[in-house]
Amino acid sequence: MWDGPHLLTTHDPDGDEVRALLERAREESFEPDALAGRAVATVFFEDSTRTRVSFSLAGQRLGARVVDWSSRGSSISKGETMTDTFWTIESMGFDIVVVRHGESGAARLLADHAHCAVINAGDGTHQHPTQALTDALALGEALGREQGWDFSGLRVAIVGDCVSSRVARSNAGLLGVLGAAVTLVGPEPMAPAALGEALGCAVSHDLDAEIGRADAVMTLRMQLERGAGTLLPEGYDYRAGFALTRERAERMKPGAVVMHPGPMNRGVEIDGAVADGPRSLIRKQVAAGVRVRMAVLEEAMRRSG
Amino acid sequence: MHAQPRPETSSAVLIRGGRVIDPASGADHAADVLIRNGRVEAIGPDLDAPGAEVLDATGCLVTPGLIDPHVHLREPGFTHKEDIASGTGAAVAGGFTTVCCMPNTRPTIDVPEVVCWITDRAAATGCCRVFCVSAGTLGRKGVELADIDGCVAAGSVGISDDGDAIADPDIMQRVLERCAEHDRVFMQHCQDPAMTAGSVMHEGRVSRRLGLTGWPREAEETIVARDIDLARQTGARYHIQHISSAGTVELIRQARSEGLAVSGEASPHHLLLTDEAIERLGSAAKMNPPLREWPDVLALREGVADGTVTVLATDHAPHATDEKRNPMASAPFGIIGLETALALYAEALVHNGLIGWDRLIALMTIEPARLCNLDQQGLGSLTVGGPGDVTVIDPEREWVISPDDLKGKSVNTPFLGRAVRGRAVATVVGGRVAFRLEREAAVV
Repeated sequence: MWDGPHLLTTHDPDGDEVRALLERAREESFEPDALAGRAVATVFFEDSTRTRVSFSLAGQRLGARVVDWSSRGSSISKGETMTDTFWTIESMGFDIVVVRHGESGAARLLADHAHCAVINAGDGTHQHPTQALTDALALGEALGREQGWDFSGLRVAIVGDCVSSRVARSNAGLLGVLGAAVTLVGPEPMAPAALGEALGCAVSHDLDAEIGRADAVMTLRMQLERGAGTLLPEGYDYRAGFALTRERAERMKPGAVVMHPGPMNRGVEIDGAVADGPRSLIRKQVAAGVRVRMAVLEEAMRRSG
Repeated sequence: MHAQPRPETSSAVLIRGGRVIDPASGADHAADVLIRNGRVEAIGPDLDAPGAEVLDATGCLVTPGLIDPHVHLREPGFTHKEDIASGTGAAVAGGFTTVCCMPNTRPTIDVPEVVCWITDRAAATGCCRVFCVSAGTLGRKGVELADIDGCVAAGSVGISDDGDAIADPDIMQRVLERCAEHDRVFMQHCQDPAMTAGSVMHEGRVSRRLGLTGWPREAEETIVARDIDLARQTGARYHIQHISSAGTVELIRQARSEGLAVSGEASPHHLLLTDEAIERLGSAAKMNPPLREWPDVLALREGVADGTVTVLATDHAPHATDEKRNPMASAPFGIIGLETALALYAEALVHNGLIGWDRLIALMTIEPARLCNLDQQGLGSLTVGGPGDVTVIDPEREWVISPDDLKGKSVNTPFLGRAVRGRAVATVVGGRVAFRLEREAAVV
């Protein structure tokens, strides 16, 4: 997961780094001046609400100065490249740069040439590691698995356009290493068997078969901006097969929870009544995000030595 | 009509004490080689030539000058990446005395004027022989035929839209008819554009894990299969550039067993690396066609060993460091190859016993010479009276691929830092010593 001071993916073969970070986020015993005198930049080439705000808040709570940059209204419109933009900001003297970009591998590329810590806040359809950590924290706390962060025996269904989703890729690896049994659920083009094989998890094209046995159902946003619409035939009734409707939610196991990384398309992949209902962890996920990002920034600074 | 390096008639070169290998004639024996007035004057034991420049070839192979039928010299149009002077400098440092440059320059090599311009430019600034491969279609757009007749008359030695396949079968058939008429080989960059829109790497486990758009083997194989039919119909000589998939090797094997004039080339990276390299190296390992999986690598090596794949070619594709320093989807395709090829081929094919040095030399001399009709000028072989193009190779020389060592303008190769064995220590082009490895560097 960590590569020097950089957090780029959730890949952590024995899970020790993941568990240590979750534990730190759960304890919440952060020093308010842990990052005093430090500067953190959030550099977002793609839009964001929760990731951006929670990183900023996390940095401020640890005493850092936080500067938010986004590509809208920037020199990107004058043709400045991603790498030059990053170097420009880095050269001003930031200790940690939190970066989001629409291309898979962007964070790794920047980290390879960076003099500061780089935190991946989402790169294309590749990874979004702090989202997966956030989801694991919320899920572990909700289901009483925070002692040792052992998720074995838990069944998690990730439902939707998995092939276009960095959240699915990050969660498949992270929840898997904690011991959960992860199943990617969606229409064949969105959850192909080959993807499950590549990510080391199961695949199902039948949500109704999965709904009654999952301990957690994580619905993904239909990413229309990433071409989700083109994966399915014209007129395909996504809702009939894969939306988390109120009727489906009623067939979930007692105590099973509903998750969504946001932003939601209410009425598309999830019914409003389910998102706002008693099983929903969605607001807890958002709250967990701030603690996770505090733990991430603290650890990145510690690793920067 | 064809590129000639600046003649050096005043001096003679004597290459002493080496093992002379000439696959074209089957010669393989200890001998000295004397080159005078640009041509090979004598091959035999204990030659003497007072006043000649002497190259000590003890422990070395003395071979016909190596030929690379697939390079990108980037001039005209992209001289921040490479130009004819720097690219041919890299060529001679890698042991090559002849290169064939691909038409994706700006302007495209699709009219005789550009063929002539490059030929003249190479004569003025180049270190080795440069021949043009000209485009099959105007601007390599696959829509209208280029002036193939004019380009051939101006000296084009092959036809290709390299960088793109000619996707339209009707256009392809007409291009092959022109090639057959002129006895010029057509070299296809086999990539179905519809199957590879936005593709950046091999479609497989690694691409799915990395969230990158995949490029299936079928995108290559469907074009190969279609073209073999068209080659059968037209009688044209058809050559598959930079083979990447096991299926392509098998298609070539079948076509050749049928007696068709179908051939293919292997590049160093496809003989050594897999898509796993992307995970480590990112854009540095991004190439077109992409690195595939281990069974493809083994099938390609097997194809070379059993005579299915008869040509080795680097696809030398220089790009500036800042161009390559982009995420996978926006970085350009390609790596350099001229200076590293010999050692990498040796690693993939010779050091492991798959083929001998004699066969490797054939794959890099007489085979590409025949592909591009260069054998008709005596290139690709080493015989008395023939062109004074000779490469001296130390097969045991150990070295580490380092950017400081590279003569070209660009250093985009995933092989930086790799310890390799085998290197050209001297390159003679038209009787002139165009490259000689420094003595100090020779000591390992």
